[in-house]
Amino acid sequence: MRNPSLIKEEFLKRWIIALRRCTSLKKNMNILERNKVVKLSADLAMASARNGTTSWSRALIANATRDNDNRILAEQILGPESEILVKRVSTMPFKTCNRRKIRSKRILKRSCSSAIRRVRKTVPRKVLANCIAKRLIQKRTHILKSLVPGGEFMDETTLMEETLDYIAYLRVQVDVMRSCTYC
Amino acid sequence: MEPNLGTIVRSISIGPNREETGLESLQFREEIHRLMTVPPENGSSFTELLQLPETQAMELLHSAHSDEVVPVPLSGEPLHGINDDHKSYLPSFNGNLTFPSNKVLIERAAKFSVFASGEHSPETSSVPSDSSANLEKVKSEPAETDSNPNSSQLLVSDPAVNIKNQRSEKRKEREKKGKGCTKKSKIEISQDAEKLPYVHVRARRGQATDSHSLAERARREKINARMKLLQELVPGCSKTFAMQISGTALVLDEIINHVQSLQRQVELLSMRLATVNPRVDFNLDSLFAPESGSLADSNFHSMVSPLLWPEIPFNGNRQQHQQQWNFDALHRPLWGREEDNHTFITMENSLLNYESANSASLHSNQLKMEL
Repeated sequence: MRNPSLIKEEFLKRWIIALRRCTSLKKNMNILERNKVVKLSADLAMASARNGTTSWSRALIANATRDNDNRILAEQILGPESEILVKRVSTMPFKTCNRRKIRSKRILKRSCSSAIRRVRKTVPRKVLANCIAKRLIQKRTHILKSLVPGGEFMDETTLMEETLDYIAYLRVQVDVMRSCTYC
Repeated sequence: MEPNLGTIVRSISIGPNREETGLESLQFREEIHRLMTVPPENGSSFTELLQLPETQAMELLHSAHSDEVVPVPLSGEPLHGINDDHKSYLPSFNGNLTFPSNKVLIERAAKFSVFASGEHSPETSSVPSDSSANLEKVKSEPAETDSNPNSSQLLVSDPAVNIKNQRSEKRKEREKKGKGCTKKSKIEISQDAEKLPYVHVRARRGQATDSHSLAERARREKINARMKLLQELVPGCSKTFAMQISGTALVLDEIINHVQSLQRQVELLSMRLATVNPRVDFNLDSLFAPESGSLADSNFHSMVSPLLWPEIPFNGNRQQHQQQWNFDALHRPLWGREEDNHTFITMENSLLNYESANSASLHSNQLKMEL
């Protein structure tokens, strides 16, 4: 695993820069805005730290820049590198082609479920258990996909890599923020 | 965190000393980039996985080989059926799989497939376009095929011909693939395969030899390798066996719980940060702070305008300079006061308090937090 403290360093640095940039825009913010700002800046900080190498970071940036009201803020936070990043993010054509994929997968699933119902009566126990286990795994993968940003558009292998990365990032974020609050 | 932070902060705030700060930040970035671009351990673990079961490895090579060699359906329909699913993980295939003993495996495969080659020739003649086209593709990838073009041709035509003859079963199998009743269809297909003369000798009973399921198996192994890594990462997960399917489900459960709890923590903490008194301070300290002794404070203000920072030599952080770095992320009531403070800057590392590391060197002073 990569050196965690270096990641923390990087994250803290970027977060601080981002927060400073945010707060320079607006001097007085109410609580909700602050919350949003903190979260957004932290997310973008880490995502920019990955420099678009990982999919979840790209998805994060894409989500952040999608809404118009956040967009300006996000671009301010990201700073001068924002255009490069945003370009890279927008060139990932994962949105459109994956809708078709998702639709076709759903159709497949529906057809498969009907096939399975027919099969279940004639199938021996072992295979049935196998089916059930695989169903469980699929459900869980689906949940995981919804958790990891940008996860719905990935296949399973990339999903696992992204999860690894994402967990590391979340840990770093939690550690840094915890030490911020407890001082 | 460590004096690095002090330097980082300095780099942020100090305008004129761009070179040194640039250097430092460059070093950090370089290190971090280096760390980022280290090839994932997944690759190595996967090759270990490969080398252990040799028969499977060969078949995997078989399939990977055929997959790589037949990326484009040159003959149109018969190969089209396979490639849809393969394309999705082909790039990952190419990226992650490293076959150190490529040639050796190919030679071994050649030896084994020589048996089938006798019966092969009538079949291959029936598929001349495929094999020739594939041969071209084969030759275009010198890394894999330079040793044995013949064997590779045989290898390639194996799945190609298999596939042609088993298209209908393949479609059925693909439909059922994701739904977990592959065992039955695999049994069917393996039986069919064993009737055909060019079945690879290494085919195990109950396991299909067509590239489709082989690729599926390779994919599963990849996923399992990553699952193992995740298991090590997520606390409390080491007891379950990752190789079984039920173990995988449990590991996935743990992973999901972990991710959810981390996300919730982040939300909580950000809420706290947002609601806490705006003048939350903490000082970042240089890690020669044990001598300073004033680690108890933690004040963390941020100053937005870099002009407020005086020019402090870069090396000053390494010694006992104390700089207070004001980070007021949340509110700005005290602009005037912060401006007064710029001459007196102390930086203490509050994170140092939180952790246990207290080493004196600049770079080795990392947070010894257990993740």
